[in-house]
Amino acid sequence: MLARLLQPEAKFVKPVLTLLCHHKWTMFDVALSSAGAHIALATSSDEKHPPENMIDGKAETFWSTTGMFPQEVVIRFQTMMKITNVHICSYNIRKLKLEASEMDESTKYDTIAETEIDETDSQLQQEEIQLGEKRAYSLRLVIESGYDHFVSVHKVVVSGQAVHQ
Amino acid sequence: MPTTLRCKCVIVGDATVGKSSIAQVFHSDGSHFPKNYTMTQGVEVLVKPVNIPETTDSVEMYIYDSAGKEIFSDLVRRFWDHPSVVIVVFDCTSETSFSSCKKWLERIRSQCPDIQIPGALLANKIDLDQRRVISPKAGKELAQSNKLEYFECSAKEMQNVDTPFFYLANEFHKLYQERVELFDSLT
Ligand SMILES: Nc1nc2c(ncn2[C@@H]2O[C@H](COP(=O)(O)OP(=O)(O)OP(=O)(O)O)[C@@H](O)[C@H]2O)c(=O)[nH]1
Ligand SMILES: [Mg+2]
Repeated sequence: MLARLLQPEAKFVKPVLTLLCHHKWTMFDVALSSAGAHIALATSSDEKHPPENMIDGKAETFWSTTGMFPQEVVIRFQTMMKITNVHICSYNIRKLKLEASEMDESTKYDTIAETEIDETDSQLQQEEIQLGEKRAYSLRLVIESGYDHFVSVHKVVVSGQAVHQ
Repeated sequence: MPTTLRCKCVIVGDATVGKSSIAQVFHSDGSHFPKNYTMTQGVEVLVKPVNIPETTDSVEMYIYDSAGKEIFSDLVRRFWDHPSVVIVVFDCTSETSFSSCKKWLERIRSQCPDIQIPGALLANKIDLDQRRVISPKAGKELAQSNKLEYFECSAKEMQNVDTPFFYLANEFHKLYQERVELFDSLT
């Protein structure tokens, strides 16, 4: 494996790296659509850049907001989760709030994190938010402001595990 | 596939220049001109979709018709967060309203100094050409020096009122396309 990684040819290096990343995320990412999560609501939808792109496991595809603030998106997990950490790949987000709900189909949300992300120039913002341990059925991201009219969210990775009742 | 953008269009300018008239004529497709003056006492929001030519996309214009009277200035500012585009209106028969344009524009731009806000400078009441004191040339110069596009209209005669809105909707749509290309290039 190591020997292959050290090979200079890109064609060898790339697939190995992809494999490693993929492996790491699928172990824990409860927000992936392939793990049964889905987008329950989004305040913007350009059909070329739909909100589902945030949870498809790929950084190349993204959700684009289509104007005005705040913007919201709700990710519903397959079941009740214990979540510890959220990683967001985005561009142009300034103020971000995370809210969690412990109920299915609920409108009652508790704020679990608030952050201001630094502006980046021609590269993605990578924000890691530690949550301790929070129970959540749904996770709501509220983008309260941005560094521009439009923001993109490429990936939302939520580390956690199912709560067994 | 059609995309709908949302655009917060803030209209500013001195009291009585015709901001509400312009907003209402545009919003009602020319079927309503408020003949009697009703002072706006805060912000009135009107929503109107605009189709973007040669696409299936549209831009929903959220028009924030703001009070021009100075006593409301603190109040109206609270509604101006994250403006997408701006229209600065003056009355072409009033020198004072023309010299206020810079002040209004600065108030909007200071909301978000680092963000590019497409804007229009709009001369209203051109039906009163006998009383006109601001020439098209003076209007164009002010627009140019402040990176605005210049337009003239008469809300009363329902003449050319739509043009600045269409222009700004198109500019906003162009910005969106540029940004999406940028997002695409980041990975
Ligand atoms: N002759 C003429 N009168 C106009 C025109 N547009 C507006 N008016 C008149 O000007 C007066 C003021 O118009 P408004 O639209 O209420 O002005 P405003 O800018 O909204 O004023 P505030 O709400 O106080 O800031 C009204 O009596 C209108 O009928 C126009 O194009 N020509
Ligand atoms: Mg008014």
